[in-house]
Amino acid sequence: MKEGLCYARPRKLGEALEFLHGHGDETTVVAGGTDVMIAFRSGKLDSKYILDISRLSELKGIEIHGDELWVGAGVTLSDIYVSETLARFAPALQRAAFTFGSKQIRNTATIGGNVGNASPSADTVPPLIVHEARAVLGSVGGERSVPIEALSSGPYKNTVRSGELITRFVLKPAEGLYSNFQKIARRKALAISRVSLAVIAGKDDTGKISFIRIALGSSTPTPRRIDEVEDFFMGKTPTESLIWEAGRMVATKMIEISGRRASTVYKEKAVQGLFMRILYPMVQ
Amino acid sequence: MKIYQNLIPTQFTINGKSVEVEVASGETALYTIRERLALKGTKEGCGIGECGACTIVVDGKAVNACLMPAPQLNGRDVLTVEGLEDSGEISPIQEAFLGNHAVQCGFCTPGLMMSTQALLKENTNPNHDEIVEAVSGNLCRCTGYEQIVSAVENAAERVSKRKVK
Amino acid sequence: MKDSYKTVGRNIPRIGAVEKLKGAPVFSADLKLDNPLALRVLRSARSHARIIEMDIEPALHIEGVVRVFNADDIPGKNLTGIINKDQPLLVPDKVRFIGDAIALVAAENEEAAEKGVNAIKVVYEDLPAVFDPEEAMKEDAPKIHEKGNVLFTRKVKKGNVDKAFENCKTVVEKIYQTSCLEHTYLEPDAGAGYVDEDGTLVIYSSTQNPHYDHSEVVAILGLEDERVRVIQAATGGGFGSKLDLNVQGFIGLALYYLKRPVRYVFSREEAYLSTAKRHPLAITMKTGADINGKILATRARIICDTGAYASYGIAVASRSAVHATGPYEVDNVDVESICVYTNKPFSGAMRGFGAPQVAFAHESQIDLLAKELKMDPLEIRHINAFKPGGKTGTGQELSASVGICDCLDAIKPYYDQALKEWKRDEPPPFKQRGVGIGAMWYGIGNTGVKNPSTARVEMALDGGITLYTGCADIGQGSTTVLAQIASEILAIDMDTIRIVVGDTKWTTDAGATSASRQTYISGNAVKDAVEKLVELLLSGAVNALGVPRESLALESGFVVSSIDPAKKISFSELAKNYSEEFKPIVCKGYFDPETVPLDPETGRGIPYSTYAFASHLALVTVDTLTGEVSVEKIVAAHDVGKAIYPEGVKGQIYGGTAMGIGFALMEDYVPGQTVSMKDYFIPTCKDMPKVIPIIVESAEPTGPFGAKGVGEPALIPTAPAILNALADALGERIYTLPANLERVLEASIKSGHFGPKEVKNV
Repeated sequence: MKEGLCYARPRKLGEALEFLHGHGDETTVVAGGTDVMIAFRSGKLDSKYILDISRLSELKGIEIHGDELWVGAGVTLSDIYVSETLARFAPALQRAAFTFGSKQIRNTATIGGNVGNASPSADTVPPLIVHEARAVLGSVGGERSVPIEALSSGPYKNTVRSGELITRFVLKPAEGLYSNFQKIARRKALAISRVSLAVIAGKDDTGKISFIRIALGSSTPTPRRIDEVEDFFMGKTPTESLIWEAGRMVATKMIEISGRRASTVYKEKAVQGLFMRILYPMVQ
Repeated sequence: MKIYQNLIPTQFTINGKSVEVEVASGETALYTIRERLALKGTKEGCGIGECGACTIVVDGKAVNACLMPAPQLNGRDVLTVEGLEDSGEISPIQEAFLGNHAVQCGFCTPGLMMSTQALLKENTNPNHDEIVEAVSGNLCRCTGYEQIVSAVENAAERVSKRKVK
Repeated sequence: MKDSYKTVGRNIPRIGAVEKLKGAPVFSADLKLDNPLALRVLRSARSHARIIEMDIEPALHIEGVVRVFNADDIPGKNLTGIINKDQPLLVPDKVRFIGDAIALVAAENEEAAEKGVNAIKVVYEDLPAVFDPEEAMKEDAPKIHEKGNVLFTRKVKKGNVDKAFENCKTVVEKIYQTSCLEHTYLEPDAGAGYVDEDGTLVIYSSTQNPHYDHSEVVAILGLEDERVRVIQAATGGGFGSKLDLNVQGFIGLALYYLKRPVRYVFSREEAYLSTAKRHPLAITMKTGADINGKILATRARIICDTGAYASYGIAVASRSAVHATGPYEVDNVDVESICVYTNKPFSGAMRGFGAPQVAFAHESQIDLLAKELKMDPLEIRHINAFKPGGKTGTGQELSASVGICDCLDAIKPYYDQALKEWKRDEPPPFKQRGVGIGAMWYGIGNTGVKNPSTARVEMALDGGITLYTGCADIGQGSTTVLAQIASEILAIDMDTIRIVVGDTKWTTDAGATSASRQTYISGNAVKDAVEKLVELLLSGAVNALGVPRESLALESGFVVSSIDPAKKISFSELAKNYSEEFKPIVCKGYFDPETVPLDPETGRGIPYSTYAFASHLALVTVDTLTGEVSVEKIVAAHDVGKAIYPEGVKGQIYGGTAMGIGFALMEDYVPGQTVSMKDYFIPTCKDMPKVIPIIVESAEPTGPFGAKGVGEPALIPTAPAILNALADALGERIYTLPANLERVLEASIKSGHFGPKEVKNV
């Protein structure tokens, strides 16, 4: 345990933002602790303050507000797991919770923490991307919102400014569409994704793709939307060979962004394979 | 808002008893329980939330004590393995583990029973998949899990029977 | 051996289970000590280097640091090792792997100890390092140890393989490679100690062999036996890793000088860095069979990578060589297993000692032969399996307790059903289904060497029985089994027997809890001790009751005459009659399996006096798009001779199967990369298939109640069955373990399964 480490537990969001305004640069924010406590244990964090936001009620809640779906940054992965609202409006996000860590981890880990940690393999991020989510950042100066992709500038580097706190995510709800998240991992629980994909897709009356969003995770420095492949699909009837070809495009895009690494031999194929697996239900 | 330097007064109930203890800022709940409260039943297997040996129940939910900042215990209702017994009588969960021969070296056992306790509190009649999901965050290298899953199924029955009584 | 017993064969509650369920057992990290010092070892940052200079001054200035020890402080012998003593407790001259122990810091708390370790300045002179065993075997390779890099070679030679291959209808030759594995027992290595009022150094340790620990500590410290007492603390698994010293020597050293209580609990990271691993084996195997599927010859060249120190290297080389043919009668054998040093973490004992690795080879080979000959994999195994009277590669005749065919028969109905129904059904899109078989044999006890066990039973004046055994129970249930044996023979309830386990002040050496030997060897030692006591009781009863000996039987603490039930005498009265000076009656037991050392050139001899046999059936589903594998079902048939504690046997089978799944699919320790439990994968509950254990009892005449062993056999057939199932699913075989995502996907691509059927061009 570090000497001189100070601890503060705000009871209101305003208190937290006040504090961050004054001490943001020397503060580590902790919610569930599942990432922060590991960093502390290995001596990687040497902040002066811990700001415990785990009990801020303003950061909770999963609600529909008009045509927006609001998910509080302090919502836990277990909350996501059981949410009926998400089952209806954002199944991809809920499915990410199904394979996230373990029950113990889900009970305390928050979506804000997962996004803020900015791991390339953060499982909540691809679903947020396909829901065209924006992250709302609060500070004493007010709120600003950024597209979810802009929150991470690279592995473990978030773009949250000093004095800011992620307060909620605003998603575009997708009801009634095909909505999925899948990942490849080395075992069936307690395993970080090697490759992950989130998709939302819909077909028109003639069976052609009329709506599609695709996000790739764990394969590039930050999870990303694959617009080119979305464009490729629009107006086409999904067949096995079409999906296969599109999957190859996703893999090519990955290599374009990440370059060729030791893992590319596997990932190049696995991305294409996972893409087929996740979109195959659209072939009917 | 108070800013604590070093030690934070923390008050919570553990195994039915109210306690007040000062914890350090970066301390884990695991440390608090084992070292300050001298409850050694909760174990450290990895320290990073990957094995579940440190699982405790906080407000009815199973959590890894090694990842929980100790100050977050404040105001909570905590259960550890020492709290399963009732006046010296072992609980239905412990009976089920005993009857199903689900214990070998015993190191993962407290954490596993905590996950079981949390599961049965939220779901009195879990199916096989729900049981597997509930214990997949508890690693065991000895038993291969089969007798453990049987024990949890059996525990669910025993707990139900007790309630009916 | 009877059909039904009072305790043997019954599923009594495991001894100690209730305490474990209460979280009560005292593991070394739990032990209450008075202001203990914390210990931390400074470990080498280089793979192969001379220590030119070590400056401990900066560490001594750290607040809380009490003392820093190096090799010069060791009063006795600084070389330890379970077979070869080639591993220094603290390196005096050169380090041989990243993790080698250089200095020991004792401090008031863990933080200070950590700071102390980080403050020590070491100047290294790097030496060329070698990481590949084939490279290490070359003439000009850097020498890791003075005597050279080849530790040991075991040969098994019988008949004429070259001639036999000429007569084969089909011959297959492949290279198999297994990975380095880490035991990942749930309790990281730990120990604690204090100095007793009479000056005895008392050391608690998480261990599989307290008496061995004791022998090493007294040698390290140059003390007489009585000055050190080692007590096995509650031990959270071991699987072979807790046979070598982990913390005991360091605790002893600190106690010797500082005379204050100490504790040393490894973090998981330190356990991963510095403790024993499983030997990776490179196996080139050539097997030939005749037109009927009878294997005529096996040739194998095996290279065992033993890392920086020998540990159990010799045992692994020996065992892998002896078991290389598989549980099959092969008349022409030419096997060489070479154990080689490299500058990597040392490999030691891990559940199976080379047999799991070599089983991967021999089981793949027999499937390849079956394919060539268009034979059924189960049938070809039946043809070759040992029958009673069969002769092994070392020339041993297996006269009794040869249950391999029973095991194959036991899995057959499941196998047939799987082929008829499960495999015929259309699998889900992009998935392929495979069915595979694995078989194994496993010699009980240490290979071709004496490895006795001793036991002691005492009867107090009130008739109360105490059993003393040095046999470490690490969760596998030996205490329960030994108590069952004693209880059965004495015809008393198990809970009336007091058992003292693993305390060198009170118990005698039972040998290591390893090699699946404790039920058979310690079981026999206990049986010997108890039977001696029974002799005394019966003789005493003959005198006291004046009835013929044949009419007497034991019953609930009495010796009773069947002729006249009124004539009976209690154990207590007999004790009083016998006892001199009111001391308890003591009977000592001993057992050492009958073995004959193996000839160094031919391997001829009797390596074990009995063998366990087993066969597993695996049903797997392969995701041809991603390389993910789901094991759907394992049927595991094990010939254990006699299941003294059946649920305990099943527990071993389930646990071993889980370990086998890890070995097959996901476990891969890479030095430098595998740092914590985030980096290493053992199966979770979600990864487990339905496991159907089948206990086969082909009684071993020399075993206690016919029992042999199951601890290691439990995992040996699993990976071979899974790998054979993968080959069945994809039509493409994997020769390197683990069959992880990358290798399975590669096989899927190679075999044309990857992608939609209509698209040929990938």
